[in-house]
Amino acid sequence: MRFHVVKRDNCPLWKKLTWYLAAVAAALVLGGLLLLALGVNPVAYYSRMFTMGMVGNKIAYKTFENYLKVFVPLALTSVALSLAFKMRFWNIGGEGQFILGAVAAATVAMKLGPVLPGALTLILMCLAAMLCAGLYGAFVAVLKVKFGTNETLMTLMLNYVALYFITFLGETQAPWNFYLDPASVRPIFASFSKIVAFPKIPMGKFGLNVCVIFTFAIGALVYIYLRYTKQGYEIAVVGDSAGTAHYAGMKVNAIVLRTVFLSACLIGLAAAFKVGTAGILSTSITDDVGWTGIIVAWLSQLNTAAIFVVSALISMLRYGSTVAATTFSQVDSSFANMLQGAILFLVLAADFLTRFRVVPVQKGGKANGHG
Amino acid sequence: MDMDKLGVVTSFIHNIVVYNIPLLYGTVGEIMVEKSGSLNLGVEGIMAVGAIFGYIVGCYANSLAVGVFTAFLMGALCGLLFAALTVSLQANQNITGLTLTTFGLGVYFFVGNGLKAVKWPAMNDYANIKNGFADIAIPGLSQIPVLGKGLFSHNILVYLAVVIALVMWWYLNRTGPGLRLRAVGENPGAADSVGVNVKRTKYIHICLGCGIMGIGGYYMGLNMSGSFSSSCWINGYGWIAVALVIFANWNPALAILGTFVFGFFNTLRVSGSSLAAAFPGPLGWLAAVPTQLYQALPFIITAIVLVATSVRKREGSGLPAALGLNYFREER
Repeated sequence: MRFHVVKRDNCPLWKKLTWYLAAVAAALVLGGLLLLALGVNPVAYYSRMFTMGMVGNKIAYKTFENYLKVFVPLALTSVALSLAFKMRFWNIGGEGQFILGAVAAATVAMKLGPVLPGALTLILMCLAAMLCAGLYGAFVAVLKVKFGTNETLMTLMLNYVALYFITFLGETQAPWNFYLDPASVRPIFASFSKIVAFPKIPMGKFGLNVCVIFTFAIGALVYIYLRYTKQGYEIAVVGDSAGTAHYAGMKVNAIVLRTVFLSACLIGLAAAFKVGTAGILSTSITDDVGWTGIIVAWLSQLNTAAIFVVSALISMLRYGSTVAATTFSQVDSSFANMLQGAILFLVLAADFLTRFRVVPVQKGGKANGHG
Repeated sequence: MDMDKLGVVTSFIHNIVVYNIPLLYGTVGEIMVEKSGSLNLGVEGIMAVGAIFGYIVGCYANSLAVGVFTAFLMGALCGLLFAALTVSLQANQNITGLTLTTFGLGVYFFVGNGLKAVKWPAMNDYANIKNGFADIAIPGLSQIPVLGKGLFSHNILVYLAVVIALVMWWYLNRTGPGLRLRAVGENPGAADSVGVNVKRTKYIHICLGCGIMGIGGYYMGLNMSGSFSSSCWINGYGWIAVALVIFANWNPALAILGTFVFGFFNTLRVSGSSLAAAFPGPLGWLAAVPTQLYQALPFIITAIVLVATSVRKREGSGLPAALGLNYFREER
């Protein structure tokens, strides 16, 4: 019997969720088998990973604060990327935009921080980061609408230009380079956490960083923007078909430019949050959120609410695995990367089942149950 | 000019080739994949997977050929995964490729660190690997002054890479299957309608291309004498290979030249100071150039090439028209 693949019109949400959960469960089982082979109890390992070692831990509040530090940049970057992806603009330049935003924010913190009030410095840091990252992204959008330059490859190249730029800042000792610690013989970035940092709202021992609140607020705003505003509608139409949008009298080029700028701006803001919390630059400041964010946005099917849930889970996986690695020394922390990969491969496979149906071809070549 | 200074030039040329041949493997492999219309951003991960398994199995078997074969096989398996997801299951190519990179690097460190905790095989203990990777001088050509030792005295995997690149050029441009492959990358619907098996063509060439990348990864491991540390052997070469594909205009023969150009900057980063010391007059300024500029140059050049070709929209561009788009027959 031959099989034949047809598109599904729409798959009910519960069915989708069931498939996705099954895929995640299957990946966890595969990972568990690997753990068993290493002589590690998978249940113990996973429970340590997913609780991030907070159970029965006196400084669990500290762990949760650290977890949020991983979560905030990832969630915000993923939300930002989803804006561009909605238009089918493949901004895979999150890494580069994040780096430029981080450098801009650090510049403001170090140059203006000592003379301006803290709140004003923080606002200026955010604005500078958004502007730099936004322009870096918009530059590619201009090339795309003017010349049709492939944005996937272009943003990819610019990631590395930005990476080596920050490496240059981090490794070059010179009188002009105020980013480095003058007291150190080896080149290391200077800390400015004493000059300026995002405040925390104390809740008992736990301190809630204001960036967490802002991130959720921005998430809500983006959700409303995409759902209920004219501009959000335009993004959806351009994403569906640029031809239709053009025919409907929309200025497609302007919409693309505006949205990509906004997308990159928000990535810059994520960078400002990160730098303003860490209080120091680093060549690995992005923590790969530019890459992971792409995966999160896609896994969430560009749904803003889902992005927050998926970022929370992926952050748990990434941060939890480093915690678990301290207890289970025989499991390398790279296990998280493999597990993340396996989960995504299986979810991509499950995604197929939500979008398509496989039906047997009847004799005479006529498809069964078509339509 | 004394012999010492010429020696610096010779070793500079030699280093360009030795350290950058993995780029040629990665690039030529990616050209084959992209010619089938698939944009595979997993090169870095695939090279890492090929490297770690190729190295370990090669050492245990004490045979370079087994190592090369294993690296190819593991790379091809990654390709099979990519093809199954993107060709059969219609998954997004960018996402699948990026995930392959994350996954591949995860596998690399998991296997490597795992084995290191027990006992890491040192390349020096395996005579056949060490000798197999030793330089072989081509009689005659290697006697040319300055250039000969630099270009024609290399290990066997260098020659293999050049042969693969030239054979692939011939395959793509002069054979029937190569023509059908290009047709699939340009317009899978049209290729399908004239009887080309689009799925099979994609599967075969994605696997072959990824296998070639795997050999490149193995080469990098051997070139580091198999010393395993916290930084990956591949160290971003997979991404440079993605850039080099564009620079070479999807032409495997041009990729040889492109490897040399990118390798030139790469080598300047490492040996620029020795050139500056040997020729303080004309080349003294080299010592003042920040090394990060050399690292960024391949990407800057590629970005410029990318913009220039899109501005001119020239006929000769090798960019496959259907690159990055999945083919679903019902939507033809």
